[in-house]
Amino acid sequence: MPGQKLYPRATVKKIVKAHSNCNVSKNADVLIFLDYMLFMQNLVKEAGIEAKQGGERGITARSVKKVTANALAKFKG
Amino acid sequence: MARESRPLDATPNRRASTAEPAVFTGRRSILQTPGSQARGAQRPLGLSASGRKVAPPTATPHARAAFRTIDSRRAAIFTPHRARRRSVREARDSPRDFLLSLGKVLAKTTEPIQTSSSSPGDGSRGSASRRGDDDDDPETTLGPMGMDYDDEDEELPKRPRLSLPIDEDEDDSDDLMPHRSVVIDDENFTMQSIEMPRRAFSEQPGGRLSMNSTRMSDFFNTNDMLHSGDVGNETGFFPTINMIDEENFSMGADLASPERLEDAGRRDTGQESDFGIQVPVDLDENTFMIAPQVQDSPDRYPLEEEDGEKEEEEEEENEPVYEDYAPLVDQRSDSYDGDLGELGDILDLEDEEAADGGTRQFDEETRTDILTAKRAEHRSSSKKKGVNISKHGIEYPSLPPAVVKRLAQNFAKMSGAKGKITPDAMTAIMQASEWYFEQLGEDLGAYAKHAGRKTIDESDVLTLMKRQRQINPQTTPFALAQRYLPRELLQDLRMAPPAPSRKRKKAAAGAEDEAGT
Repeated sequence: MPGQKLYPRATVKKIVKAHSNCNVSKNADVLIFLDYMLFMQNLVKEAGIEAKQGGERGITARSVKKVTANALAKFKG
Repeated sequence: MARESRPLDATPNRRASTAEPAVFTGRRSILQTPGSQARGAQRPLGLSASGRKVAPPTATPHARAAFRTIDSRRAAIFTPHRARRRSVREARDSPRDFLLSLGKVLAKTTEPIQTSSSSPGDGSRGSASRRGDDDDDPETTLGPMGMDYDDEDEELPKRPRLSLPIDEDEDDSDDLMPHRSVVIDDENFTMQSIEMPRRAFSEQPGGRLSMNSTRMSDFFNTNDMLHSGDVGNETGFFPTINMIDEENFSMGADLASPERLEDAGRRDTGQESDFGIQVPVDLDENTFMIAPQVQDSPDRYPLEEEDGEKEEEEEEENEPVYEDYAPLVDQRSDSYDGDLGELGDILDLEDEEAADGGTRQFDEETRTDILTAKRAEHRSSSKKKGVNISKHGIEYPSLPPAVVKRLAQNFAKMSGAKGKITPDAMTAIMQASEWYFEQLGEDLGAYAKHAGRKTIDESDVLTLMKRQRQINPQTTPFALAQRYLPRELLQDLRMAPPAPSRKRKKAAAGAEDEAGT
């Protein structure tokens, strides 16, 4: 674990670059990934709540799908 | 005996409060005397006949009053049932008795008045008929209104019941009927006017170019929303169950739309947006579920127009299953002409469709051929694992699932759930993050371009996070970075982003933001 990278920085940069058609400055990807983590946290948390409400154990595709829209809307700039 | 031990001032009060039970006290006192006597011997001052404490003579007036009330309560408890009930009844009945007596008094003077002569002839409301009565009676023509009230006390309840309820119902129905229809329209507009400012024009479902695939979803969403607005909930809910149950619906398709759906729902249906948000999602699942192609290539196509059309094509191909789809489109175009203007490109397509009417499908079929061919090309290119094409035509790798999974598991554990995430959920999460990055890339690109840069800066990201309300005066980006980045198992990664430089950039970004906005 300790030696593992948290995320592939180059990949994140490429993804953002492709979507924005802009270059990504040297360290912006860290913040981007930080934001992504916040998004993931939100998504997973909401999905967990949704799953609990739906009586499922563990996070399921259904719960994730249900909360995806909200999470995305929340993270719209 | 025991009573003698009671202080003088307490005795009369107690008797007064329990006047009736006093009859029985003899018995009680017999039973209780020994104990009370014994106790009385010990404390001659403090005990009453029933062994209760009695206010000592030295007690203050308040204390004595308190003792008295306590005593009376106890006495009430011990009073035999009949007596107690009677006493309660007395207390309870007093207002009723008053009314009864009043009624008796009034009964003598009041006489039933035959209203039949006036009321049917007037056929109007109470006041008018009452005047009619006055006119009929020679004596009361001059009589004041007060007389009428006295005479017609009995009359009043009857008439309103005959006439008023009907009128009221009519009134209510009149009020309600227009209300609903009006409310829907009005609220749509008001909601639009409220919602509009929130997003830049370019970001609205139609105008925003961000997600190519989204366009179609927008398309269908608005469709669904409109349909639901027209017809009601029915459309949304039935398919839902089936869809949810079926695991096989395509990830790309049903997830693509939700965000857009939400927006569309808010704008189009106003109050109904609550369920509107959910309904369209389900519907999308419906519509998209059938299209297996979407699953293959959830990627974005380089050209927006083509994308929209392609997705349409997919829909069309699947059409046999959903034959009612075309009518839905027609409905939407009819009822939402006003909205169409706002929605931009998509709407143009829709307008065309509306104009075409029946021929639309044929056109689309022809389009379909072309588009399917194009799509096939795209798919072949994008089938390489992990390579997608953005709307700008740039290929990009997708985030490694392992990373996403690790993140998701960590957060799941943090939020209290089990860290277990099913593969299905994993694909859903991957899809969500895909969309997230697409959305994020477009937003960041827009910010950078707005600032006249060709490079996405930290300041852009910070602006974005600020707008997402992830950053506020209480939570600085640093706090977030401290909390998340290092905590994510990786010490080295925390070192990797050079903190000081980010700090500087952050300050600069703040300055830029202020200057920019």
